[in-house]
Amino acid sequence: MTEYLIRRVLQSVLVLFLITILTFALIHAAPGGPTQVFLAPGLSPEAAQIQAHNLGLDQKVYIQYLKWIGGLLQGDLGHTFKNHIPVGDILWPTVKNTMILMAAAWLLSLIIAIPWGIYNSTKEYGFSDQTSNFISYLGFAMPTFWFGIILQQTFAMKLDILPLSDMYDMDKQGDIGNLMLHLVLPVTVLSLGFLAGYVKYSRASMLEVLNQDYIRTARAKGLKERKVVFRHALRNALIPIITILGIDLPILVGGAALTESVFNWPGMGRLFVEMAVSREYSVLMSITLVVSVLVVIGNLVADILYAVVDPRVQYGRGGGSAA
Amino acid sequence: MSDSKVQPAASGFNDKTAQGIPMGMPSPAVEPPPSGPWKTSAKKFMHNPFAVTGLVILIFFILAALLAHWIAPYDPTRIDMMFPNLPAGSEGHLLGTDELGRDIFSRLLYSSRISLTVGFSVAFVSVVIGTLIGALSGYFGGWVDTIAMRLVDVMYSIPTLFLNILILAIFGSKASYMIWILALTSWMGVARLVRGNYLQLREMQYVEAAKAIGVSDWRIIFGHLLRNSSAPIIVTATLMVGGAILSESALSYLGLGIQTPNTSWGLMLSNAQEFMLTDPLQALYPGLCILIVVLAVNFIGDGIRDAMDPRKTTIPRRRLDQWRKKFSKSGI
Repeated sequence: MTEYLIRRVLQSVLVLFLITILTFALIHAAPGGPTQVFLAPGLSPEAAQIQAHNLGLDQKVYIQYLKWIGGLLQGDLGHTFKNHIPVGDILWPTVKNTMILMAAAWLLSLIIAIPWGIYNSTKEYGFSDQTSNFISYLGFAMPTFWFGIILQQTFAMKLDILPLSDMYDMDKQGDIGNLMLHLVLPVTVLSLGFLAGYVKYSRASMLEVLNQDYIRTARAKGLKERKVVFRHALRNALIPIITILGIDLPILVGGAALTESVFNWPGMGRLFVEMAVSREYSVLMSITLVVSVLVVIGNLVADILYAVVDPRVQYGRGGGSAA
Repeated sequence: MSDSKVQPAASGFNDKTAQGIPMGMPSPAVEPPPSGPWKTSAKKFMHNPFAVTGLVILIFFILAALLAHWIAPYDPTRIDMMFPNLPAGSEGHLLGTDELGRDIFSRLLYSSRISLTVGFSVAFVSVVIGTLIGALSGYFGGWVDTIAMRLVDVMYSIPTLFLNILILAIFGSKASYMIWILALTSWMGVARLVRGNYLQLREMQYVEAAKAIGVSDWRIIFGHLLRNSSAPIIVTATLMVGGAILSESALSYLGLGIQTPNTSWGLMLSNAQEFMLTDPLQALYPGLCILIVVLAVNFIGDGIRDAMDPRKTTIPRRRLDQWRKKFSKSGI
C-alpha cells in the first residue's frame, strides 16, 4: 500500500512537471516567440529590447523555464503585463468563487443522481428510468451555454424572479442569501450536465452488483429487498463511482468556465477567457497550472480512495498480481 | 438470430451471438440470413427507429449545408440597416433579421456548413491520431506504451477547454486551426480504447500464425488487427462528431472560434445574447440547431453501437414472445 501510494504520488508529480513543460513550450511556440507575446505591440525596437531584457526574455529558453519554475515553487506566479499586478492577487479570489460554484453543482447533482440511479436500477426500463435516459440524452447534446441563456431569458427576464448574472447584487456584497439566489441558475445549468452522466453510472454500477452471486445468496436467505439493496449492494456499487468522479474533474472545470462566462460569475474560467482575449499569458499559464493541479490531485485522491475502499484492488504491477 | 450461424467466426464480434440460442433447437427465424457481420449490423441499425430518425435528420442538415448557396434567400453577410431586428415571419425574412439586418435563416444555413465541417473533420483527424497511437502502444507495449500512456495522462489532466482557449489565443482564431486543435486535444479516448483492444487481440492465435508465416508487424497492426477493432472505433468516431460540434460552438461563443464575417451557430448565439432584451427569440434558433444535430449524431452513434454489439439484439418483442412460447413448449 505504501509503495503504491509513493508510486502514485511520484506519477502525479511527473504529470504536473510535463504539464508545466507543455504550457511553457506552447507560449514559446507562438508565432514571433514570447518576445512578441509578452511585449506591447507598437513598441520601438530599442524599447522592445530593453523591456525584453527587463523581463528576462533575452535569456536562453531553459533558463527562463527554470526561473519560472523556481518562482512557482516559491508561490510567485509572475506579473500581468498590463499594470504589472501580481498574478496571484487576481487569481486566488477567482479560484474561491469557482470552487463555490463547482462544489454546489457537484453536490446537488450527486445528491439527486445517486439515489435516482439506484432507484432506476431496481426498476429497469420503468417510467423513471426512461425519464432519466431522456434527460441524459438532452444533457449530452445541449450546449450548456445555450441552456444558460434560455434560463436567463425565462427566469430572469420574463418572470423576473431570479437575478440575471453576477455573484452578488451591487449593494449586497458578501450576503449569503443573495449569493444563494445568484447560484440557482448557474448551478442548474452545471448540474444538468453532471446529472445526466451520474444517474447512468450509478444505475449501471448498481445493476452490475445486483447481478452478482452474493446478492442472490442474500435474497435466497430471505433478506428484505430493501436490505439487499442498501446494505449489501450499495457499498460495492459506490466504488466505481468514486473513480468516475475523479476522471470527470477536467470536464467539470471546463463546463464551469462556460457557465461562468454566461452568468458573468467572477471565477477562474471567466478570468481565463478574459485574459485570453487580452493575451495576458502569465495569467493564462497560471490558471492552466492551477486547474491541472486540482485535476491531478482529484485523480490521485480518487485512486487512493478506490484502493482504500475496495480491498480487492491490487497494488503493485508485477508482484501483486500473483497474490 | 439464426444468421449468426453462417457468419465466419473470425469476424470477432459475433461469436457470442451463437450462445444466444440453445443448441439443438430448431432455428426459429423465417427470413433468409443476410451474409456477413456488416450486413447484419446494417439491418439491425435500420430496425432502430431512433437511429434511423437521427440519420434522416443528419442527412437533412448535410443537404442544407451543401445546398446553402441555393436555398438561402440572402447573402448571410449582407447588412441591411433599414431592417434590423425584424421578428420571425416578417416578409421575406422567414426567421427575421439580426441587429445588423442580416437574414437569420440564411445565416443558420451557412453556419451549418462550419459546424458540420468542424464536427466531421475533428472526429476524423482525432480518430486517426488516437488509433495510430493506441495501436502502436497496445501492440508493441514496453517503453512505447509507457510514453504514450503518460502522454494520455497528461492530456487528460489539462481541462480541454482551457487548453483550446490557450492555443487559440496564442495562434489566433482560424477555422483550420480550430479543427487541428480540437483534434489534438480529443484523441486520448480513442487511443485508450484501441490500446485496450490491441492488448487483447495481439494474443490471438491468428496473430501468432501471421507472425509465423512472416507477415510484417505493420501489416498485422493496420491490416489484421485494425479490421477486428473497427467496430468500437466507428462508434467512438460517430459520438465524437457531436462533441466536436459542441466544442466548436462553445469556443465560437466565447469569441475565440469562428470570427465574423464567417458565421457559426456558436457565434450567432454570442451575438444573440447581447440583444437578448430586444429579441429573445434570436438565441433560440442556433441553439436548437446545435441540439438537434448533436442529438441526431448521438442517436446514430448509439444505433451503430447497438447494431454492432451481438449482446444487444433488436428483435421485435412479438417475435421474442413467439420464440418463448415455442421453446417453453419443448420443455425449456
